[in-house]
Amino acid sequence: MREFEKDAGPPALILRDLRKSFAKIAVDGLNLTVRAGELYALLGPNGAGKTTTLRMVAGLLPPDSGEIAVFGLDARRMPIDAKRIIAWLPDEPMLYDKLDPLEYLEFVAGLWGVEPRRAQAIANELLETLGLWEHRRERCEGFSRGMKQKVALAGALVHEPRLLMLDEPLTGLDAAVARQVKDLLAARVKQGATIILTTHILEVAERLADRIGIIQRGRLIAEGTLAQLRSAGGADHASLEEIFLDLTAPNERAA
Amino acid sequence: MNRLRPGSFAWLAAHDLRQSWRSFDAALGGLTRVKAALLVGAVLAVHAVLWWALRLSGPDGDVTRDAWLSPYIALGIVFVLPGIVVQAMTAAARALHSHGDLELMFASPVSARAVLGARALSIAISAIAWFAILLFPLADVNALAGRLHWLAIYPALVACGLFGAGIGIGLALAFVSAVGPRRARLVSQIAATIVGASFVLAVQGYAMAPAGSRASLMQAMQSPIDNQWLDWRGWLLLPARAATGEAQALGLWMIVAIAVFAVATFALGKSFASAAISSAAAGAFTPATGERKERAFRGSLGATLRSKERRLILRDPWLISQIVLQLIYMLPISFILWRNGGATGAPGIVFTPLIVVVGAQLAGSLAWLALSAEDAPDLLRAAPVSAAQIERHKIQAILAPVALLLGAPIFALAFVSPWSGLCAALFTLGAGVSTALLNLWRQSPSRRGLVLRRHSQSKFVGMIEHLLSIVWAVGAVIAVIGSWSALVPVALACFILWLSRSRSRRVSLPANA
Repeated sequence: MREFEKDAGPPALILRDLRKSFAKIAVDGLNLTVRAGELYALLGPNGAGKTTTLRMVAGLLPPDSGEIAVFGLDARRMPIDAKRIIAWLPDEPMLYDKLDPLEYLEFVAGLWGVEPRRAQAIANELLETLGLWEHRRERCEGFSRGMKQKVALAGALVHEPRLLMLDEPLTGLDAAVARQVKDLLAARVKQGATIILTTHILEVAERLADRIGIIQRGRLIAEGTLAQLRSAGGADHASLEEIFLDLTAPNERAA
Repeated sequence: MNRLRPGSFAWLAAHDLRQSWRSFDAALGGLTRVKAALLVGAVLAVHAVLWWALRLSGPDGDVTRDAWLSPYIALGIVFVLPGIVVQAMTAAARALHSHGDLELMFASPVSARAVLGARALSIAISAIAWFAILLFPLADVNALAGRLHWLAIYPALVACGLFGAGIGIGLALAFVSAVGPRRARLVSQIAATIVGASFVLAVQGYAMAPAGSRASLMQAMQSPIDNQWLDWRGWLLLPARAATGEAQALGLWMIVAIAVFAVATFALGKSFASAAISSAAAGAFTPATGERKERAFRGSLGATLRSKERRLILRDPWLISQIVLQLIYMLPISFILWRNGGATGAPGIVFTPLIVVVGAQLAGSLAWLALSAEDAPDLLRAAPVSAAQIERHKIQAILAPVALLLGAPIFALAFVSPWSGLCAALFTLGAGVSTALLNLWRQSPSRRGLVLRRHSQSKFVGMIEHLLSIVWAVGAVIAVIGSWSALVPVALACFILWLSRSRSRRVSLPANA
């Protein structure tokens, strides 16, 4: 894992006292800061509020209260401006079965208002990088889950977001596709993009993330680099899995 | 179900029937005590109406005479049977297409014949259910009036269901073998559409036929002389004769139906399994979009949204067949109008309301597809575009094909009668915009393939959509006549639309943009 270097600009994401309830509380006064240019892994047990949090940042769910700032923009007051620099990739790809990958990328680029020639160049490059070039004129309906996920990832990247949020991006992918996705994410971070991802595959967070946040029952219970989490837990050689289980188990028992 | 041997035909049949019952229950939004009481009340009401008709007719009235009724029953069965066959055929094609549970069953060590038999039984019961709603009460009230032979309708209709399921499954498998699993569902749907349209047109044709022709048809529908089985009508009318209580015909019809059902399920079990497996394999097929030529990306939001909507519709033959089917349902109206208006020699009065109604229905369907059946609503919500912008472009996208499809008939009408053409254009625009707005304000998210069943989700929208179509059509007729009173229906349509306005259910497009 590379050491994180602080960016001089505003943080990529600031959440202040964010709250959301459905039948029960999903996000409970969450405070979180993600710095620009880092890969932040948001971990937590099932139902901890990870996806709800990211959906609120993406503008898909209105929070009950709290503040969301994306690169200094108040996402609740200026949702369109915030969305312009955000990409959201859920675990179920947001695709159209009857469109081919190139048409899908054209559509997404049109939604984000990317200049057509630039969008086309980026789309072609993404299709090449993700190994989709040969399939660019085939409808998505017959694609495997991995291919669909790659098309959706290309869609998330075609408008060159400054903040990319991915919900379980590697679930259900085979080793080769997972490697492609991980390499692409690492390359994007090197180029200066900020990535927040949720994952249950702790090895991914351990290897890729600059910092890790662990939430449970809608609250942040631990945050830091892997080394910081280890020292906080008093186990210098513990794996992230052990740290995660140590941190979440007492709370689960208390629940 | 627990007492049945797992994997047996009866066990599988019980499983399929439970699934069918739960679908019915879900369609009702959960069968509460109140709903169950209403259903029972509706069935009793049908009985009461038929009983009342029987009493009103008196002991010597037409309705109480078998001789008068039997040709109608014969005619009815002649139509009911193809209807059951078609329903069974489309149900079998649908079962093969949505292969989820069939894959599970064929992956298990149960007999393919037992699986098909159980599925066929479920299909037969579903196929006769709609006809039973009317025919069983007819049998009941006649039996109550002392004509017990009418109870033969019960076994005769059940036999129709078994016969229809056997033939329908055979046809579906024939389509799979002829055109492949991917197209079989579409071909079945087209065949069903043709049969449905033929039924509707035949009913209208009968109503339009001269009295002499109708009388001779009725004569032909009379039961042929007993024991003359070499008469073709003897076989053609076998189910009808069974339904009217001829014991010999009923026995023979039941034997034929059970034999067809048994042979179909026994002989076709393995074919059904292999068709299901090949359908599943076909799902992995990736068709090319046909756009081989590299083309520059479109720049504007409107152009990309319009082209996306257009592509999604044009590349879905199933969807197109559903929309065409909906338009075919309009044919009876054209017949009625033709009959009533044709004699006046005013094509404007005949065709203007028809064009308006078709425009309203088409715009309603397309608006539902674009707004409620959006495949990736979260993608649109996450995009930096306001809800209003997306909705405006979507409405534009759906009104363009409506204009394109109805442009030709409106132009033809204008050629014959310019004033009628102008009225048709204006009122179709009004009707199309109003049903599109209704679907914008009252969205009911669902899958695209359910376009024909979209109103079962929101009966309110369905009712208002039909009401708007009728009001605009009435206005169009009044306008064609040249009366200012046409403004009254226009005002009424606007009022209905205003009352229906609700933005609280806009769930598929940006919520907070």
